[in-house]
Parts: sequence; C-alpha cells; structure tokens
Amino acid sequence: MDIQFTGEHLLPGKLGQFFIVLSIGTSILSFISYLLATTAKDQLDLSWQKLGRLAYRLNLAAVVGIGACLFYIIYNHYFEYHYAWAHSSTTLPTHYIISCFWEGQEGSFWLWTFWQGLLGCIVIAKAKTWENSVMTVISASQVFLATMIIGVEIFGAKIGSSPFVLLREAMEAPIFSRPDYLSLIQDGNGLNPLLQNYWMVIHPPILFLGFASMIVPFAYAFAGLWQKRYALWITPALPWALFAVVTLGSGIIMGSFWAYEALNFGGFWAWDPVENASIIPWLTLIAGVHVMLAFRNTGHSYFTATFLVLISFVLVLYASFLTRSGILGETSVHAFTSMGMDTQLLIYLAFFLIIPIVLVIKNWKQLPITKKDEETYSREFWLFIGAIVLFVSCIQILATTSIPVFNKILGTDIAPPTDAIQHYNKWQIAFAFVIAAISGFSQFLKYKKTEPRRFYIRISVSLVVAILLTAIVVYVADIYGNAMYILLTFAAIFSILCNGNILGEALKGKWKLAGSAVAHIGFAMLLVGALIAAATNKVVSINNTGIGFGDEFAKNNNPRENIILYKNEPTKMDKYLVTYLGDSTFGVNTYYKVNYQVIGEDGKIKENFNLYPNAQQNAKMRQIIASPDTKHYLLHDIYTHVSSVPLKEEEHHEDHEGHSDDENYLKPVAHEVTIGDTVRFRTGYLVVKDINKSAKINDIALTDKDVAIGLVLAVYSDNKTYSAEPIFLIKGNAKVDFGKKVDEAGIKVRFTNVLPDKNKMELTLYEKPKEDKKDWIVLKAIEFPYINLFWGGTIIMVIGFIMSIFRRSKEIKSA
Amino acid sequence: MKKSSIIGMIIIAIAIGAIISTYADSSTYGTFSEAKETSKELHVVGKLDTTKAMFYDPEKDANYFSFFVNDNNGTNCKVVFTGAKPQDFERSEQIVLTGQMLGNEFHASKILMKCPSKYTQDKIEVKEVKAQGKI
Repeated sequence: MDIQFTGEHLLPGKLGQFFIVLSIGTSILSFISYLLATTAKDQLDLSWQKLGRLAYRLNLAAVVGIGACLFYIIYNHYFEYHYAWAHSSTTLPTHYIISCFWEGQEGSFWLWTFWQGLLGCIVIAKAKTWENSVMTVISASQVFLATMIIGVEIFGAKIGSSPFVLLREAMEAPIFSRPDYLSLIQDGNGLNPLLQNYWMVIHPPILFLGFASMIVPFAYAFAGLWQKRYALWITPALPWALFAVVTLGSGIIMGSFWAYEALNFGGFWAWDPVENASIIPWLTLIAGVHVMLAFRNTGHSYFTATFLVLISFVLVLYASFLTRSGILGETSVHAFTSMGMDTQLLIYLAFFLIIPIVLVIKNWKQLPITKKDEETYSREFWLFIGAIVLFVSCIQILATTSIPVFNKILGTDIAPPTDAIQHYNKWQIAFAFVIAAISGFSQFLKYKKTEPRRFYIRISVSLVVAILLTAIVVYVADIYGNAMYILLTFAAIFSILCNGNILGEALKGKWKLAGSAVAHIGFAMLLVGALIAAATNKVVSINNTGIGFGDEFAKNNNPRENIILYKNEPTKMDKYLVTYLGDSTFGVNTYYKVNYQVIGEDGKIKENFNLYPNAQQNAKMRQIIASPDTKHYLLHDIYTHVSSVPLKEEEHHEDHEGHSDDENYLKPVAHEVTIGDTVRFRTGYLVVKDINKSAKINDIALTDKDVAIGLVLAVYSDNKTYSAEPIFLIKGNAKVDFGKKVDEAGIKVRFTNVLPDKNKMELTLYEKPKEDKKDWIVLKAIEFPYINLFWGGTIIMVIGFIMSIFRRSKEIKSA
Repeated sequence: MKKSSIIGMIIIAIAIGAIISTYADSSTYGTFSEAKETSKELHVVGKLDTTKAMFYDPEKDANYFSFFVNDNNGTNCKVVFTGAKPQDFERSEQIVLTGQMLGNEFHASKILMKCPSKYTQDKIEVKEVKAQGKI
C-alpha cells in the first residue's frame, strides 16, 4: 500500500541523506588518494595529493551540507523527522535549537565529523612534507565517522544512525496509516531541560573540538613510524598536541561548570564514568606533551612519547564507546542509551589500536630508543617520571571506570565501589601530590645535567616558604586533620612558588618560559582549590527538627541534608536566617525566591541576599527538574537548590469568573450547634462561645425589622486561638449570611441557618485541603569555600597552555 | 640495570596495586536476602513496587523517603532513603540501590534510577479532535 502523506517536507531530508552519502564517498576517495600519494614511488608526482586535497575539501563541504539540512529541519519544526521530533519542540527558544543538535548521538557524531573535517583542512594548509601521511590517517578516521550517521542496513547489520530518518519510519503507530498524520502531531518531545542552559550551547562544541583534535598528534606519531621519520614528528605535532590539550581541557572545565551551575548533584566533579572517560585521554596527552619535550631536547623517552600520543586517541575512541554503547547504564547517570552501534564503534577502536601496535612492533629495532641512563639531576628524567605517574593515575581511573566492561567480557557481576568519590580520591590525591611536587622542583633542573648543590640551594628557599604558607593555608581552610590533604596542599603551594620564580625570570626577559610556568601555577591552584572545596564543603541545610521514624532510622543517622521552609516563615539554617518568599513562573521554569540573612550579634543585618533556585514543573509527569542558584563571594559560594516542592496541578488561571472562593476548600460540612458545642476539624477545633443578637455588618444599614445574628466562635489551631464571628442576616424576605475566614487555621465558617424548632444553629465549616494550607519548599544548601581558587586555577592553566602553543608554533617556523 | 627500568617496575607495582584496590573497594550486586546476611554495603537491582504506597511527607520530615522494591528474585522489601524523594522517581524502570539491611528495612545511601526519559522514549503524543457525532 502506498499512502500519499500530506504536509511532509521531504526535500531537506533527501538532500541531507545525499550529503551523507557524498561525505562517505569523498572521505573514502580522500583516504585512497592520500594513501597512494604517500606510497607512490615518484614523490614528485602530485596528482594523487591534489585529488586527496580536493576530496577532503569536498568532504568538509558535504559535512557542512548535512549540518545545514539538519538545522533547517529542526529550526522549522519539521516533526515528520524523528530527530526534530525527539529533540526539539516549538516552544524552544532559538538559541537552544543549537543545543538540540548535540542532544542526540547523530548530532554529536556530526559535530565530531565537522571538527575533524575542519582540522584536516588546516593540516593540509600547514603540514608541508607531512601532509600525505598525516592526512591518510585523518581521512581514514573521517571515513569511520561518516559511516556513523549513514543509517543503512547491510545483511541485517545496522550501520550508523541517520538524523534524517522520518518519524513514520522510525516507529510504528496506527496514526501513520493516515495520510494526514502530521496534522495530529502538534509538537516535538522537546529538549531535555537540563540541557537548556547556556553552557550547553558552548560546552559540547568545545569538548568535541578537543576530542577531534586528538587525531592530529596521533596522525603525526603514526606517520612518524610509518614513514620512518621517527624523531621528526615531534616538533610539528607539539603545537597540535597542546591545542588538543587546551580545547579538551576547556571543554571538560565548561562541563564541570555546567554541572556546578545547572545540575543539582552538588559539586563540580563527581567521578562519574562519563566524566572519567573524557579526562583520561586529556591526562595521557598532557603526559605525552611533557615527554615529547624531553625527547626533543635530549633524545630520551622516545617510546614513552610515541606511546602516550598514540594511546590518547585510542582512549578517546574508548571513551566514546563507553558513553555511546549503553554499557555504563547501571553505573552512570548520564550515558547515552545504546543505539545498536556497539560493533561499529568497536571496529573503529580496533582499527586505530591494532595498526599502530603492528607498526611499532615492525619498527621496534630502528626506533631511536636510547640505551643511556638519564641523570637523576636532569629535567628529562623528571619529565619522564611525571608523565609515568600521570599515566598510572589514568590506569587507576580507567580500571574502576571499566568495571562494566570487565563484567561484560569476563561474565562477572562486580559492582563499582559503593563510595566512588572516596575510592578515587584516595588514589588520586596521592598521584596529584607526586605530580605537583615534580612540577615544582623540576623547574630548577636543566636538561642533561644540573649541579646538585646549586639545585638544592635554589629549591630550599621555595621549600621553606612553602612550608610556612602551607601551615597558614591548612589552618585557615581547616583541613589540617588529614595528612594527605596537608601534603597535597604543600606540594601545590611549592609548585606555585617554584613556577612563580620561573615566571619572575620570564618577566625579566626569558619570555619563552612563561607559558609553562603559568600553566603549572594554574594547575597547582586548581588542585588546592578543588581539594579545599571538595574536602570542606558543608551542607548548611542540616535539619534537626525531623520527627522520628523509629529507632532504626535514627540509629543509622545519615546527615539530614534537606530542610523544609514554609512561606514567609524565617528558619535558622547554620548562620543564616532563610525565608522562602514565594515563587514566580517564567516560561517552563518556576523560580523560588529564597532570602538569606546573616544577623550580627548587635542585631544588625550583615548580609542580605536572595537566591532563585528554579525547577521545571511538569504536572502531567508529576516530576520536577531542579536547577541550583549560587551566591558567589570572593572566598566562598552559597549553593542552593530545591529538592522537593508541592506539585502544581494543571492550573487554569485565565478565567476567574464563575469560580467562587469556595473552590479552594474541601466539600463543606454543616453542623447543628448550640452555645458551648465543640466542632473538630483537621488542624484544630472551634467552640461556640456565644450568640451576638445585635451584630453589625459594614456597609449594610439595618432597620428594626432586619435580624442580624452573629455566632461568636473561638478557633483553636496550632496552640493559637483566633476569634471569628460569622453572621446570619434576614433582611426583608431574604436570608443572607456572611462567612468568616480564619486563614491561619485554613478554614472558613458560615452561619447558614437558624433552626428554631430544634433550637439549634447551622454552622457550615469549610476546610482547606491539606496541601494548600501552607506553601513550602524543601531546600538543600551547600557552602563551597575557596571554590574560586579552583575556577581561577582552571582559567590560568588555559592561558598558560595558549601561551605555550604560540611558542611551539614559532619553533616550527624557525626550524 | 637502567634506572628507568627500576622505576618502571615500581610504577607497574603501583598500577597493579591500584587495580587490586579497585576490586577490594568494589561491591557486589545482590538481593535483599543476601543483604540480610551481610553487614557490608551492597548494590541491589530491582523494580519499584507500584502497588504499595510510597511515603514522602516533607512537612513531617524532609529527609525521610520510603518505598517498596521488588528485587530481581522477586523479594519485596521496604526501602528507606535519608533524603528528599528523587525527581522522576515514579517513572523509574529499574532502580539500583546502594546500602544495607537494618532490621527488616533496607537503608539506601544512594539510589540510581533508570528512567525511560521523556526525551528518549518513543511514544507519540497524539492530539486529536474528534467531530461530534450526531445522536
């Protein structure tokens, strides 16, 4: 059966799919051309190289075409496409349409392909004699990435997943048998609210630029082995390696900042497998950069440098396998779910793992590995040691992160550590101590050989000052209870001092050294900042008012980290007096205004600020998605998010007419009462005290014939007494009554009738439903001390890396 | 022997130590009945029992959340979590609990949920206006 569907826009999808096929074709052509150009006997014949260049540039154009088609589809809300339907909605602000792009796996693969295409074009322009061999590797990787979004089935095996699949092809539903099905699909699923954050517009592109740029140093190292230009690849690859380090590092830091600003897991790093997967290749490449320098200056550590650069890209592929295959499902909160592309990812990984191994083994005998021993008092020796320690720290992270993979391979059923953060910190603090210490004292070592006496004299000053400063810092930051914390703080301060010394010399004229000194200072600051913030952050919303749930519960007393705030009721929380002042809704978010005050002993307000943690409420789903708000001080942050709020039902505010106030109450109950009677309600009781036979009503003039009777009531609720006097009026022939509200007790009372024959009065009681009695939020608040040291350190480190890139790029030109 | 070889060996020893420590620190997946027999913390994988009531009343205690879970063997157990009720809890398909047994209650220190997220589930929301039929 062939249904003619109406309203579909098939052209952009077909065009997009054409571009995908074109991108595969051109990347294969580029790979073959460059391969032939590299292996050609006659190196003066440039025809293959020319074809390779053309194909690679066409490939970039095709990739841009794919992106343009996809953007067009999402931007115009063509929900006949599964990708647009699954990741966007009509209510989404325009700037977040960009984020929709990388919410799905297809879009993030596209992003990777795009960066790799762009970087390849830069390599073509800059690489000179390295172009053919390096581009062979890059275009091979481009072939693999292009197949990730093709979305075809060959012999039952699914290859790639296309972003241009139509909704009716992607799923089955009865509505697709209707030609006008599209008119029934009003809106897409929308973007995950957590991704609707400005950091999510910028974080993924930077992170993927980092991942993509790892291929370039890899390709150089590979080409060095392949073309037997063993030692020569280091110099041109160095700026690329630094570029990859700085972009991936910035991407990770932005992700960490996003987690801190927009997620409510309460921190900037959680050792989540997805986070680990991105930091491991970063650390191995940093280690690689250091030994590349050692080799270039002294000829030592050749194998270590090659190995670390090669393994870094393999680990990027491993990271994408971990996050995209769904294998982390039981251990990570934010991995992708499987798309059935595991095998494809594994082939990609195996290709870039096995071929380099083969090349290394084949060339082993000719590799320029020194037989000489390094001097202990030499820079190259400690660069090597530092790199190895970094690598071992990666092995530790990798081992724990890969538990689900080992389970799969070995068929075991091991669960990750119950306290993952503590498990990682135990090891990583020790590694960080060694690395920080080496990054300090090795600054005073020269390549080849340093005279020990001079070395000790130079470091001794820094050492003594560092000990003094450490004593002050650990005391002020209150971390002197833990020996490891003290040691790490000491090593980091020592490193800052040593590198500060170098920076001082740089300012006198040795500008070349400034980059590494700045980066090391930033790194050491980051370590101290992270350590102090992570070790001494404290939950300030400790709740001690909870009513017991039995002894068992109290015995296992985890800190009760959430506190309930009732609207307009100030609550003491640590040194703060916090008050929930109300909420307001903008778009999908509801902002809860929370006032913080610190009142000094003299009764004056010392600090006074408002925070607006928000939550997206979804009444239909009965869930909230909370985002924190943070007050930033120079020396600490106050971080606040709501953990629970009353769920709003679907509200209809548009039309107030025809709705009476009584709708806010439960079904009224009529009681027949006389003086002295008691009526109970949920939160208290009331007593009929008296009858006021000459009641007065504002604005109504009473004549002698009118009867106005008041019922004098005493209302008891929450240990408080309120009085109320509902009035019953007979004016002419009409019976009217004037009810009274006692909002504090959540009730309304009406004197609705007089029953003379029974000698009783009818009192109608309205009770508010339970939830509406008081507005509340459940809040969690954390104080992060000295977190700006961490953020400041990250920024300084990035600046240092950028300075180094400029220095190493100049070296290529002068070489 | 080269100095770097000695260092290499030390490094390898540390790496092995790190990996062994991974397994020393690692926990096990278990069931409620296994949890009863050990005092160690372990992971229990199960499903939320929707037939029994969940309890979270922040006005009473904002840090007490209890619910019932059927583990993979079908054993039903009450679970207590010291904290606010996680978002999206009702919709979780599978729950991984970390904690230990105290009496007849499993006290979870961590809850990891697998949700068929709104943003990945393939369920079309159809809006349809039906014409009024004549009676």
